[in-house]
Order: sequence, then structure tokens, then C-alpha cells
Amino acid sequence: MLKLFEREILSVDEISKAQTGIDVRDLCVHLNGKLVLNNINIRIPKNKITALIGQSGCGKTTLLNSFNRMNELNRNHQCSGEVWINDRDIYNRKERISRLRTQIGMVFQRPNPFPMSIYENVCFGLRIQGETNRRKLDDSVERALKNAALWEEVRDRLFDSAMILSGGQQQRLMIARALALEPEILLLDEPTSALDPLTTLYIEELINELKKQCTLVVVTHNMQQAARVSDYAAFMHNGELIEFSDSDSLFTMPAKQQTEDYITGRYG
Amino acid sequence: MLRQFQLNYRQALSETASLLCASIMLIFLVSMVIFIAFQGSQYFVPKSAYKVSITFADAREEVFYQTSALSLENVKAQFDSRYLGQFLAEPENTPEVSVQLAEEVYQVVLDSGRVHFGQFYALSSMDEPALPLSELDNLRDTVALLQISLQEAQEGRLKDLHERIAQLDRSGVATDAPARDALMLNFNRWQAHVFELDRQIQKYRMQFKQADGDLISIALNDLDYLYQPNQLTLTDKIGFTFSKIWQFVSDKPKQASTTGGVFPAIFGTILMVILMAVAVAPFGIVSAIYLHEYAPDNRLTGLIRIGISNMAAVPSVVYGVFGLGFFVYTLGGSIDELLYSNTLPSPTFGTPGLLWASLTMGLLTLPVVIVSAEEGLKRVPTGLRAGSYALGATKFETIMRVVVPMASPGMLTGVILAIARAAGEVAPLILVGAVKFAPNLPIDGEFPFVHLERQFMHLGVFIYDGAFHNQTETQSSSLMFATCMLLLIIVFLLNISAIMFRHRLRDKYERV
Repeated sequence: MLKLFEREILSVDEISKAQTGIDVRDLCVHLNGKLVLNNINIRIPKNKITALIGQSGCGKTTLLNSFNRMNELNRNHQCSGEVWINDRDIYNRKERISRLRTQIGMVFQRPNPFPMSIYENVCFGLRIQGETNRRKLDDSVERALKNAALWEEVRDRLFDSAMILSGGQQQRLMIARALALEPEILLLDEPTSALDPLTTLYIEELINELKKQCTLVVVTHNMQQAARVSDYAAFMHNGELIEFSDSDSLFTMPAKQQTEDYITGRYG
Repeated sequence: MLRQFQLNYRQALSETASLLCASIMLIFLVSMVIFIAFQGSQYFVPKSAYKVSITFADAREEVFYQTSALSLENVKAQFDSRYLGQFLAEPENTPEVSVQLAEEVYQVVLDSGRVHFGQFYALSSMDEPALPLSELDNLRDTVALLQISLQEAQEGRLKDLHERIAQLDRSGVATDAPARDALMLNFNRWQAHVFELDRQIQKYRMQFKQADGDLISIALNDLDYLYQPNQLTLTDKIGFTFSKIWQFVSDKPKQASTTGGVFPAIFGTILMVILMAVAVAPFGIVSAIYLHEYAPDNRLTGLIRIGISNMAAVPSVVYGVFGLGFFVYTLGGSIDELLYSNTLPSPTFGTPGLLWASLTMGLLTLPVVIVSAEEGLKRVPTGLRAGSYALGATKFETIMRVVVPMASPGMLTGVILAIARAAGEVAPLILVGAVKFAPNLPIDGEFPFVHLERQFMHLGVFIYDGAFHNQTETQSSSLMFATCMLLLIIVFLLNISAIMFRHRLRDKYERV
């Protein structure tokens, strides 16, 4: 009986280098001249789900975006520090950003399917990579859609516009689109905030399944969701990382007063 | 209470006032379209012919007169008012006008577009002086055959012989050399043959009696068609109208652009706007992509944007003058010096022509294209760009695969609006290549087939020119209105297609 509740969760300090998916060292980010991330140090474990929580504007999304360098789309952007993924600093000068982004998938808050067919949406990334072999594309699309638990619903209408899918289906399509590139890391930026509770549950189950294949980082405002889904959780406030530990301890006995205030709803 | 009343009153007033303005505007618009459509349709419908006798104090004049007026009184009123003005000083001499329907009269239209009225008098062939009218078709066939053999003799033999003689002359052969003499003899024989054929053709004639009793003789060779305006049944009238419409869109203008069709103008307009679109669309769209996607967001870019918006407000004649100075004189002059120096001083490209007109119009419509393409680019949601970047697409790939397809409705709209604008423009075109009558189309069977240096006809310029013709001459002014109607239809169709295009593409790409 006890075994059922037992999870193979190491405490944060015990994570070895080999078990680290993303290693952030002294990361500072300025956007539009404002300090958004202040000296972040965090080791995100491999093949686990890490939740980033904190109030709006605390820098969760910026931190998530700095893992695949999406912050750089903002022209007025400066950053210092290092982010190590697979034994290399992704902010080094030789890093090819577009290649990096194929290894690190991202799902946005609002589903943003391209105005194309479901099929084309899923193989967009592969086509960008120059893949033209039809059989390979077909296989990848099927695998990605199955992984995203969408295959059964859309198998008969792969060539219909992606716009006709429901919100939850679109969001799963977005996950499939990212999975088609077989990324090592999947970043999810409030993936369920625009969805109804039932669909949210569905996506959460899906996220749990995906743990086997890749490292997941989820930004969420929903405390219950963070507690339900994540293995680890990080609480951020005003651009600083306040606390990072396994979810059980963070949500049951937070070390810092600020964290406790936030999760009990005293502010934020 | 009073305050409430005042408020209600004010609201009602503003509502009424705006409704009034809107309806006045609508009435203006609709009446303009109706007016042009009515005036223009006059050109196509068959009109009744009347015999008008005018008795002056010392003379009597009789004419056949064709008008769209519906009753005899109206025709009489037209003439009365005309003479009332002429004889304002001596009202006692105002002529007496009487009008009657000319039942039997024929309208005879020549190939040149000239129109005669008259009663049929006689039909004569080479050896028969008086034939019945029923023989007309046979005789016309005979004439056509004669005309063909004449053409063959002229084009096939005479031209060739003439060239050979000219060649001998050029190479300095003496005028009395036997070879030249033989050629000359041959030439003279064929020329005599041609003269004989021509003389025969001229023998086939038709005579009509005009209103004042004078006879008018018309060679069948010059005849286009004839009909009796007052004897047409309803089906005849409908058929006549359609054949007139067909002539209008397929024939060239005749009689100094007072009758005939406007085909060269339609052709020139379409060719000009196609060339313009080919020039302006890539240029404008690429500029818009640069401005919106790549240009840094600073004051210089802002200034460029303001500059482009202001370019749209520059009077079009300024573009015409620029086109004349820059394209025609500078660019065209340089091309002539470089490539056509053997024909100088007569210019090839250094004169107004189709190419320069298209480029000038391209410049004029460039702001329209850039602004609407940028408008389209602005509407692409940032989320989609981010989605594309997150899948490993570079900026160029994102633009080509996601942004441009989604912005294509805006871009296409811009191009179609530019085409509509160029189709209706006049002032700059007069300066850079559109003329009121061009003898040749810019495309023909002669190498290199597309003659970009040629001058061309344009619907807008045609109307502008038509407006200077005698306003009382009903035929020419109705041709002008018919052309107006055609131009309106073309521009409306283009605008409607722009709207439909935009909707279709928006359905495809913009439901996000």
C-alpha cells in the first residue's frame, strides 16, 4: 500500500550531473531595459516534470524562453550567464539557434496552429529540416499524433484544416507538432490555461506519459495542477528563484515564508 | 424633463442629419452610374430615322436625321431650339420645321465608319446598270473575290518586283539594262492588271437618294453594312444591339474616334496594367517585407513609412512629368545611344511608349502596394511566428512558409487596387505614351512581337479625348459615354475581384 504513493523522487541536492537536463548558471536577462531574471541558478532534472510557479510577471515565461532562446525574438534583449544542455552552453557563440530549437520543443499558452492541414502542421518542423521522404513524414506524423493522444480523433481527416479542431485538440496538435521533431526537452507555457477542466485533465495525463521520452518544464498558474503533475517545482518571485525542490516538499512544507504565502494564497 | 427632451431632440437631429448626408451621397453615386449607363447605352441601341424639312425664308432644306428621341414632337423641338438660338436677332426669319418618320430610308455604313442615309435607288454591276436589291449579296461576294485577287497581285507580285528593281537600282545597274527592262515590263504588266481589277471593283456600286433628292453613289467595296432603321423588328433590334456591342469591344475607332469600337484602347489598357503589375508587385511586396520584418524599428524607418504614405498623395501628373524626364528622356535616351545608335536621331526608346508608361504607373501605384502588403503582414499573429521559430525555422523560413502565405490576401488586394488605379488614370499617361489614336497594337506578328517602345491607346485617355469632340454630335458623345461605362465596369470588376480574393484567402488563412 505504501509503495503506491512512493515516487522515485530524489531531493534536489542529490541530482547528479548525468541526471540533469538543463543546468542554468547565473542567468540574468534584461528585456526592454528591465531586469527580468536576476541571477538564476537551477538544475532541472532529466525525464521529470518540473513546474515553474509564481505570480504574473515574475519571470517564469522568460526563464522558459531562455531555454530555447526565444527571448531573442525581442530585439531589445540582453542576457548573461550560461544554460547547459547536453554538456554545452546554448548561449555559446557557435550555437545554431534553429537547430537548438528542434531539440527543445515548445508549446504556447494559446494553441497557434498554422493555417494548413493537420498533417502539414505536424510535419512543419520536419519539412524545415529538409525531410522530403513521404514515408518518413507519414511515419513521423503518425507517431507524433499517437504520442499526443490525438491520432484516433484525426486519423480520418489528416488533410483537413487544423483550424476546425477544438481548443483541446489544437493544443494536443501543438504538442504533436513539437514531438514530431523528437525533442529532448519540451517546454510548456501554461498549456491548459485556455482549456476547460476536462480537457486540462486530458492534457495533464498526456504530459505524465511524455515524461518517459523527454524532460518537461511546465509554467502554470494553477497550484493544484502543479502539485498534481509535477515531480519538481520552482517558485519564482520578482525575477528571482526563491525555492526549488521536489513538489511534495514544496507544496507540503515549503522552506521559505514567501513560498508558503504564495501557495496558501496570501498574495499573488 | 426639458433636459431629457433636449437630449432626445439632439440625438434625433444628429441621426437625421447623418442619414440625410448618407442618402444624398448614395443618390449622387447611383444617379451618376445610371446617367453614364443610359448615355452609354445610346451608342448600342438602334435609333429611328426621321425626314426633317426645314423651310427658310429663301430656301428649303431636307435632311434625314437619326435620333434617339421618341416622338416626332421631340425631334421637332430639338430642331426648333437649335434655330431659335441661331435666329435670335431676327425671329421673323426663324425657319419652319416639319418632321416625319422616314419609313423606307436606309442607313448605309461604310468601312471607314462614315454613315449615309438615303432611299435605295439603284444597284449596278460591271455590265448590268440596274439590278434589284436582292442581288446585293451576290454582288458583294463577287467584289470580295475581285478584292482578293487584287490583294494577291499587289502583295505577291508587285511588291516583290518593286523590291527587285529597287535592288538593281541600289547596286548601280544602268536604267536601260536588259534585266531591268524585263523586270520593268513585268512590273508594268502587273500594275496594269491591278488597275484593271480596281476599275472593275469600282464598277460595282449602289446608289441612294438623299433627302434633298441628290443621288449618292457608293462602291460596294467600301460598304460595311446597311439596314432600315425604321423597319427593324424587336429581334432585329436586339441582334443589332449585340452586334454593336461586339463591334464596340472588337473593332478599332473610326472617323476620328467618333464611331467604331475601342478594342485597341482595351488592349492597350490591359497590356499596360499587366506590365505594371509585373513590375510593381514583386518590388512592392519585397519592400513591404523588408520594412515590416527586417528594418530596425527606429526613426529612419518611420520616416520612410511617412514618405511612402506621402508618395500616394503626390498628384499623378507629377509622376507623369517625372516619367517623361527620367524614363523617357534620360533612360530611354541612354538606351537609344547604346543600342539603337544607327537609327538616331529618330528615337526608339527615347520617346513616350508602353514600357515607360507601365513603369511610371508602377511608380505611381507602388505606395498602394507597399501600404496594403504591410497591412497584411501586420495582421499575421505574433503567436504564429513564435510557433514557427520554436520548431526550428529561421527567420527567412518563417517569412516564406508562414508569414507571406497569411499576408497574401493583403498583398493581392494591394496589387488589384493598383491595377484599378492605373486603369483609370489619365494625366501621367498622356505624358508618357498613351495617345488618342495608335495605328498599331503593341503586340503583332512582327519580330520581336511585343513592341514595348510603341505608343498605345488607353481607355481613360480615349474618354478624355472624346470629351473634346463636338458635344452636340450625339454619336461621338455616346461613344464616349459607352467607353466610360466600359471603364467603370472594368474598375468595378477589378475591385469586386479584389474583395472576393481577400475573402477567399482570408477564409483559408486567417481563421485563427
